[in-house]
Amino acid sequence: MARITYITPDGQQVVVEASSGSLMTAAVQNQVDGIEGACGGVCSCATCHIHIDAAWMDRVGPAGDAEAAMLELEDGSTSASRLGCQVPIRPELDGLTVRVVGR
Amino acid sequence: MRAEGQEMPLVLRLQDVRKVCKDWKTFSSDDPFMIVPHSEANVRSVRQYPIETDPPDHTDYRALVEPFFRRPNDADYQLGMQQLVDEALAAAAIPDSVDVVSELALPLQSRSLARLLNVDDSEANLWISWGTHVFKEGDGVSKGAELSSYIREKFEAAEGSEAHDFFSVLNRADFQGRKLTLEEKHGFANMAFAGGRDTVIHTVSSIIAHFAAHPEGLDFLRQDPARIITATEEFVRYVSPLTAIVRSCPHSAKVLDAEIAPGGRVGLCWPSANRDETAFTKPDEVVLDRSINPHVGFGFGIHKCLGAAQARLIIRSLLQALCNQIEAIHLIEAIPEIEQESSFERQVGFKRLRTSFKLRSSQHF
Ligand code: HEM
Repeated sequence: MARITYITPDGQQVVVEASSGSLMTAAVQNQVDGIEGACGGVCSCATCHIHIDAAWMDRVGPAGDAEAAMLELEDGSTSASRLGCQVPIRPELDGLTVRVVGR
Repeated sequence: MRAEGQEMPLVLRLQDVRKVCKDWKTFSSDDPFMIVPHSEANVRSVRQYPIETDPPDHTDYRALVEPFFRRPNDADYQLGMQQLVDEALAAAAIPDSVDVVSELALPLQSRSLARLLNVDDSEANLWISWGTHVFKEGDGVSKGAELSSYIREKFEAAEGSEAHDFFSVLNRADFQGRKLTLEEKHGFANMAFAGGRDTVIHTVSSIIAHFAAHPEGLDFLRQDPARIITATEEFVRYVSPLTAIVRSCPHSAKVLDAEIAPGGRVGLCWPSANRDETAFTKPDEVVLDRSINPHVGFGFGIHKCLGAAQARLIIRSLLQALCNQIEAIHLIEAIPEIEQESSFERQVGFKRLRTSFKLRSSQHF
């Protein structure tokens, strides 16, 4: 089980508890604004773009190649960017805060 | 490639295609009738919206119709679509031989479009009667003119209506402080009818052909419901029913090694990008559980497909219905649809695909 805090583009905080899936599916199941997950999680649509809190970057880990190539061309992309669908929920992410980029 | 008497570079690699999409100032869409390699001036009379426009207008035009294209995200809409697809497949499975293109894919596409545009279901009967070649010249009778007058009549009939269908909503819409012109509304409707027609029909027929050739595929999908999602994306990648979309360069530009003179054009080849071997392992195979699939079948950037949610829902519902109802698909006759541009030919879907469906003994709705 991990508690994740999403900060939506309009500044709302949504706290979600999840034990499986990804940072995208957990957000979609809880209707977190700004995360759509249109492609269902295969790294094709970038509608789950988030920024990871700097202190958590090591634990979350870097983007894979396909994801990094997408992020390179996404608006609002920074070194803190990840696609939520590519970050599996796991116990060590308990307490993580992410900012939803939205569009 | 050559297109409309000019040499035109065709961008082939995934990341290069994305880069051109992203740079809409250099690679513009503001070039009516020229959105595909050959001119469409002889098959339609209006600019298509929002696809043949650039920001800032594109942003405002797109926002006007976005609520319709988001309808497939609604849970009730999704239930309705599953029912529609279940019934269409069940009906197609009754006869000994069915043409998947005209008797399954076309009705499915038209009936689901009626839902998307929030018009009465019965409206689709007329659209189905236009046949699969409504926008093509030469191949059968072109019904383009009939579509044009139909669209114009619909906007006229909806004048003053407070209803929430596509035509009434666009009549009332406010664009940058004014009402839309009839030309603009016609261009929106034309895009809604044309954009998702062949693309959806070819994808549906290709999916049926795939499972006819690979009977084990349906069992594989049945083993894990998550595979409906991955298989949907995989069919969009593999089929890539839209071959090339073109941008125009108002100023001189460079793409990789190619210099483009002012007024020159650049093609974006989605199927090639979707089989870029540096991005996809086994690019020429259908991998139903491909878990990382960064395809651009629906485009990339500001013009990315507005109908993607609808297309995804149709495909997901179809795969679900096939899993629930169908044991095997027997191929009787396949006549491929060959798309011709001046420099290449490509098979996209089928002109005709005759099959018979064998139902599962116990069906799970
Ligand atoms: C499998 C089915 C489909 C595929 C593969 C597909 C593919 C595409 C692609 C590649 C683009 C990008 C064009 C560009 O960059 O200029 C696009 C745009 C578009 N598509 Fe689709 N499409 C599909 C279904 C649909 C459906 C069902 C509809 C509507 C009912 C639709 C409506 C549109 C519209 C309106 C745009 C223009 C968006 C804009 O300019 O902002 N498409 N489509």
